[in-house]
Amino acid sequence: MAGMSPSERRLQKELMSLIKEPPPGVSVDTNIAEQNLLHWVIHMEGAAGTLYEGERFQLQFKFSNKYPFDSPEVTFIGNNIPVHPHVYSNGHICLSILTDDWSPALSVQSVCLSIVSMLSSCKEKQRPPDNTFYVKTCNKNPKKTKWWYHDDSV
Amino acid sequence: MGSIIGVLKNILCRMLQLLSFGKKTITNSLSVYVKISGGRTVAVDLDPTWDIKNVKEVVAPRLGLEPNEVKIIFAGKELGDKIKISECDLGQQSILHAVKVRGRLRTTLPPPSTSLIEDIDEQASKPLSETLNDTMFSNEDSSKSSSNIDDGSTNSGEGTNRTNVHFYVFCPTCKALKTGKLRVRCHFCKSGAFTVHSDPQSWNDVLEPKQITGLCENGSELCADILNNKEPTFAEFYFKCSEHTSLGEQDQAVPLYLIRPNLRDVPCLACTDVSDPVVVFPCTEGHVTCLDCFRQYCITRLTERQFWQHPEYGYTLACPAGCPDSFIKEIHHFRLLNDTQYAQYQRFGTEEFVLRSGGVLCPQPGCGMGILIDEGCVKVACINGCGYVFCRLCLQGYHVGECRSADTEIGANAEACSYNVDPAKASEARWDEASKVAIKVLTKPCPMCRTPTERDGGCMHMVCTRAGCNFHWCWVCQTPWTRECMGNHWFG
Repeated sequence: MAGMSPSERRLQKELMSLIKEPPPGVSVDTNIAEQNLLHWVIHMEGAAGTLYEGERFQLQFKFSNKYPFDSPEVTFIGNNIPVHPHVYSNGHICLSILTDDWSPALSVQSVCLSIVSMLSSCKEKQRPPDNTFYVKTCNKNPKKTKWWYHDDSV
Repeated sequence: MGSIIGVLKNILCRMLQLLSFGKKTITNSLSVYVKISGGRTVAVDLDPTWDIKNVKEVVAPRLGLEPNEVKIIFAGKELGDKIKISECDLGQQSILHAVKVRGRLRTTLPPPSTSLIEDIDEQASKPLSETLNDTMFSNEDSSKSSSNIDDGSTNSGEGTNRTNVHFYVFCPTCKALKTGKLRVRCHFCKSGAFTVHSDPQSWNDVLEPKQITGLCENGSELCADILNNKEPTFAEFYFKCSEHTSLGEQDQAVPLYLIRPNLRDVPCLACTDVSDPVVVFPCTEGHVTCLDCFRQYCITRLTERQFWQHPEYGYTLACPAGCPDSFIKEIHHFRLLNDTQYAQYQRFGTEEFVLRSGGVLCPQPGCGMGILIDEGCVKVACINGCGYVFCRLCLQGYHVGECRSADTEIGANAEACSYNVDPAKASEARWDEASKVAIKVLTKPCPMCRTPTERDGGCMHMVCTRAGCNFHWCWVCQTPWTRECMGNHWFG
């Protein structure tokens, strides 16, 4: 652990705890994370009894060396982007803890749990109403988007 | 005047001491000053193994008194006869206070309030910083603090004083975070010949004025009468750096009271390591970070210009977990940053203050002087700075009439120049031209605070990212964001 920056030390610890005690339905791709500690891919399963049961998703986490004071950049990647009112078809997620409400007291695990619960509470599978427009005009980095959080129910 | 005479006397006394070194040989000696009521100061060499009784024997003849007529006061306490010098938190050039015992007065005083200090016998007190312990200053739960006191009583006297209170200070002399020593003086006359009636029980008692009462031995009648006895005589606490030789009574340090020993092994909020000491944020949860992560937090927020200009505290930060009402009051905590970072902190803080007060920053490259101006004044001169005279509205050189755009200004200057240079070539060859062009092409000023703002995608609804501004504006109209903007050109 010596010689690592504080952000790397923290990420190393988070990675270890996620490998040892992963939350249900969540697993981290250790090959990718071990190559570059600032870039993780997390496999996620739709929870049983929800609209996403049986589906598999991939989440990409990108960290800066200012982590955890700077929030991670979190997007869905791969072939299956969940159809959800807060998830754009390019994988961007409208979730306040990923930008405005981020706190260094949060972690990769707590972000994963928030996303699982966001998916689980969905009642109808649909894209956000402004999906087409947003996907055309947005920046590649979802953190550059000024999100307007107006709906806490889903 | 008095102090100058005092200093001269010191020097004289020191020389006399040097001349008479043959009388007593002290190994490992400690040079301290003893201040006598009336303002005289004498220099004394003490042996750390002596007790206070020995000190009195040395000091009393100089006062023309018997040893039992003298009491020695240090750091808010009268020192007991049996206390060893080495237990007194004395450093080289520390100042002890010697006063004549006034037997009668003592009995009229209110009894010392109950404290966690073991010494019941008031005559046998140690200085405050030796008797206070960390647990009292970290809001420990009662079970833990009682166990800590047990520790204290078992290893009292020798070895490591593990339970002694740890104060951390920013020392302006060492220019660094150091451990500090708590000292006490009279709130009114600032004399150190002062004993407290009760010990401070929390940081609040130490930091806020007029929390703890005491007796000023310098001129008890004077200080008690100062407000016609409407108020008791109060103690004033201050700190000194414990890592360099005291440079006199003015040599003080700023207490960094958010930095505390990590008694409960709380892991850092950010890196989750357990380190010591730590920063405890002033939120109800008392979130903890290590010093490294505190620095990292400050640097991250500083470069993003997310410090907050607080009307009372200054340019500051709140708890990183986003807790309400958690701004850092004592901005000296940011002295933990290195010199370059702290200079940046000071510059940004000053700029924010100027902007918040309706002032402008001199637009001359490399100047940036903050200028406070009256409302309605348009012609601004950078007095005390670079001397540039400019228009408040367009921040270009001062002019009569309407503001011209920057482009026509450049054209006009080129024409006026008698030397014939191709204006296009000349403008390409200018130092910093690329970045100036980039700022001009890619940015628009926030209509509220004029911060140059870059739009790198997304819709036309802009939100100023400067902390404290957060102004919503329209990239197209460069006015506040309206429903019309949303209807007409939300996405371009």
